Amino acid sequence: MWLPLLGLILGLSFGLLTDMRIPAQYENYLSIAVLAALDTLFGGIRAHLQNVYDDKVFVSGFFFNIALAAGLAFLGVHLGIDLYLAAIFAFGVRLFQNIAVIRRILLSKWDERKKEKKESPQK
Amino acid sequence: MNRAQLRFTIILLIIGLMVSIQFNTIKTPQSRDTRDVWEIRRELSKEMQLHSELLKEIRSANETLGKYENIQSESPEEALRETVMNLREAAGLTEFTGPGLVMVIRPSIESMATGAGIATISPELLNRLLNEINRYRNQAVGIDERRLIPFSAIRDINGETTVNGLPVRTPPFEIKVGTGTMEEARQLYNALHASNIADDFFIDNLTLDIKEPVSQLNIPAYDQPIENKFLFEAEKE
Repeated sequence: MWLPLLGLILGLSFGLLTDMRIPAQYENYLSIAVLAALDTLFGGIRAHLQNVYDDKVFVSGFFFNIALAAGLAFLGVHLGIDLYLAAIFAFGVRLFQNIAVIRRILLSKWDERKKEKKESPQK
Repeated sequence: MNRAQLRFTIILLIIGLMVSIQFNTIKTPQSRDTRDVWEIRRELSKEMQLHSELLKEIRSANETLGKYENIQSESPEEALRETVMNLREAAGLTEFTGPGLVMVIRPSIESMATGAGIATISPELLNRLLNEINRYRNQAVGIDERRLIPFSAIRDINGETTVNGLPVRTPPFEIKVGTGTMEEARQLYNALHASNIADDFFIDNLTLDIKEPVSQLNIPAYDQPIENKFLFEAEKE
């Protein structure tokens, strides 16, 4: 549980402390890649909570989604179509859905635990 | 499980890195110094001028201090009186006598020929002229024998242009500018001739006649009470 969080904090502090920057013209790609990464992350958490988590699906999905999003944005720039909007829309909707599912699962788990606690002292 | 956790950790590390890079990229727009050498030189010269002015002020303060110390044993009152006199001079409360130049404002020949009525000078034009004069060093300015001090107001009261609350005559009248040295008077004379302030006067049907600098000039003292709203006499201990 704590190891992944440590990884996140490590990554954040590493990026902030080194003050790494990318050229302004690649900013769009990175922002969409971040969105894709967040989408995959929340998808993974949801799968884990629903007990359908698969390591391979998660890791491949992470890299594939990022590549696809960046590729779409790249194609969009060269075709003159704002294709990155498609990626933002798809990932945005999925992000919200995933978070909603996670919330429901957590709520139901909390309810169950409450019930168990109520029942246990009666026994 | 352990391996899965490790992968998860690595992916989270990558996500963190991406987010922080994005944050860095967006948050710090580099403001570049786009000044060229001449602009920097100009700023440098401005600062140097300030520097020399400050040095001059320090020197004069030191001089006063030295004078106090010298006279202290004899009569401190004399030194104080001298300081007060200097301050009164700087504030324009004493008559100015020294080199300077005289300008005469007259109705233009063209307006007289067409029979147009003689208009008084507008406060805006007078302010413009004063701004032009104040670009150069001067010690005293008198408009139509009214001494200008830092508190002086030039404004329109009931259709009349007034200085220090007193109306200025319709042209012709004189404006006197007192300077510290003859050299400064000559500089001001040349600068005013080179500026296009005369054109501004012509638009108002007036002419500005700038006379040669003179070595002796009298500008009367400011004769009205100075209202002081913010400074009070210290209580005696």
